Amino acid sequence: MSIMFSGVGVSRGIAIGTVHRLQRHDIEVGEISLNSQDIPAEIERFNTAVDTARTQLHNIVDNIPLTLNVEIGAFIEAHLMMLDDDILAEGTARIIKERQCNAEWALKLQMERIGQVFDAMEDEYLATRKNDISHVIQRIMRALQNIGPPEHDHDPQVWEGKIVVADDLTPADTIVMQHHGVAGFATESGGPLSHTAILARSLDIPAVVGLHEARRYIRDGEPIVVDGNIGLVLVDPHYEAVEYFNSKRNRYLRKRRELVKIKDAPAQTLCGTRISLQANIETEADVAALRKVNAEGVGLYRTEYLYMRHTDVYPSEQEHYDSYIKLVRALKGAPLTIRTVDIGGDKEIQHTQAGTVAHNPALGVRGVRLCINEPAIFLPQLRAILRASAKGPIQILLPMLTNVEEVMQIKRLLENTKSDLRNDGHKFDENIQMGGMIEVPATAIAAQQFVRHLDFLSIGTNDLIQYTLAIDRVDDQVNYLYDPLHPAVLMLIGNIIKAGDKQNIPVSMCGEMAGDSRYTRLLLALGLRSFSMPANALLEVKSVINNSSLGKLDTHARKISKCDNPLKQIALLDKLNTGIESIAH
Amino acid sequence: MEEPQLKLTRTKVSKMQSSKIEIINKLGLHARAAAKLVKLCGEFASEINIGQPDKMVNAKSIMGIMMLAASKGTVLAIEVSGDDETEAHTAVRELFENRFDEDE
Repeated sequence: MSIMFSGVGVSRGIAIGTVHRLQRHDIEVGEISLNSQDIPAEIERFNTAVDTARTQLHNIVDNIPLTLNVEIGAFIEAHLMMLDDDILAEGTARIIKERQCNAEWALKLQMERIGQVFDAMEDEYLATRKNDISHVIQRIMRALQNIGPPEHDHDPQVWEGKIVVADDLTPADTIVMQHHGVAGFATESGGPLSHTAILARSLDIPAVVGLHEARRYIRDGEPIVVDGNIGLVLVDPHYEAVEYFNSKRNRYLRKRRELVKIKDAPAQTLCGTRISLQANIETEADVAALRKVNAEGVGLYRTEYLYMRHTDVYPSEQEHYDSYIKLVRALKGAPLTIRTVDIGGDKEIQHTQAGTVAHNPALGVRGVRLCINEPAIFLPQLRAILRASAKGPIQILLPMLTNVEEVMQIKRLLENTKSDLRNDGHKFDENIQMGGMIEVPATAIAAQQFVRHLDFLSIGTNDLIQYTLAIDRVDDQVNYLYDPLHPAVLMLIGNIIKAGDKQNIPVSMCGEMAGDSRYTRLLLALGLRSFSMPANALLEVKSVINNSSLGKLDTHARKISKCDNPLKQIALLDKLNTGIESIAH
Repeated sequence: MEEPQLKLTRTKVSKMQSSKIEIINKLGLHARAAAKLVKLCGEFASEINIGQPDKMVNAKSIMGIMMLAASKGTVLAIEVSGDDETEAHTAVRELFENRFDEDE
């Protein structure tokens, strides 16, 4: 009889195969009373077991392939720290001494004590971290009983093509499994941030987690389907269901292959309008992902990480320069848009603003306000940008503009810096372009005043939506109100694009909305011709663009902008997106 | 006799750096965040304790920290005493304020 489970899809794709249940040997432990003269030897036996566990974990760390997500290494490091922890080591030794019992029993009692603390925790995520501690304790327990490490319970050869069903995967499991061709994961516990999820995404293997008590109904060797796109697991599926998922899987894989194919194709609508697709980056390392999808350049380089590298000093001009030059070289002539430092708001850094903490940092000194207030932070960056502009195409992007006067102030700073550089004999691009992020509603409304003083605009939808709708995105109680389709948001976006068009300067969008293919057609209809997004979203957006005809979008787009009912808006959006095959469904 | 006594007190009596800090990363003090904190604290000679008035734990013990059950929004006290207490105190605060280098 087939059974369907619904969980959380944490890694895309569909896997069809047979179940391999990850069984862990449960170790039965009893209490053995010891004579007091045997206690030191028992503690020694316990310490040896801890050493063995430590060696096993070090072996795993040593064999982590460089390509693997660093997070998993961090989990194992945490496990190693637990082995060294006095609560575990001394706590257990004390029980052995006081109770005069065997190490296994003492360890079990200590685990129960620790477990009680976790069971009483209100925060669900933190409470589940008990698993981390019990993984470590299990490892010591096995060493005490001379049973090999848990990751050796299975002959790895049997994993090939199997769908692993487990309670949760330990970091050690995940590292060992990745060498052996596991086809999918289905686990009882875990969420998008669990070990399983992180590993599955880094290996690109379909995974569904949060299948409570699923193992009670799933047997080894049964046929199983895991659909990571919609979070569904089907055990012992009917013949027709297998057919269905097979064709869905083929469709998904075909779509993905097709997307890779359009990597070198120009982004162009069916009616022949060229659209510019650029990538957002946070560090120099992101350039690799940008190359994979053939982005036209960097539409947004967030420079905050340069400021976060140190805790005590601001980055020097040379550090800025080194970073920009590295990028210019890697981009080989493709444009690099550098956003000047945007700390403050949700990106606070310790050493700004001499210790004062604003009540409402999102409305405080951040972005360009900080650049103007604290030249010590901003000027080294400005000098470095200018110097790097001698080596390749670079543009300056100013965050958080509110007043035209801010643009004028920065322009004066720019001219002063240019003349300093001339005096110092440095070369730079005399005509370096300077644009503004439009993310404050006031600026969006008065965009036609800003366009006269800027060379380009970039719409920052994340902040624009947050400020327009007066909701904090990271506040769980109000983030349901975060709505890119709110008529006010669409009006503002439309207004910004019109202002840019009128002045004949480019308008780009670099917020999350730009990388969400559901909104691509709507944005095209609003007149947007330049998008910047995380590299992994780029090909899907390109495929929508290349399947759209501008003339056909207007009617539905206008209806969406005018609609005051969010549910109807979604229905209209679906209509607008007719003919687009979502990669996920 | 007075002089050395005074010197001794100066080196021995430590001012102790202490402050309160709120946990702002979404997941709170989970295993990896706790590991980062332990690693950082291990780099300093000072004694570092963290927690709430009724439950202070050694910040060099990962399990102690995890058992604080400190989720987002929890305000914790930090107490640092020792030769490098100022540096240690600043570094610990920065780790919290940088959300343990997590995205949210």
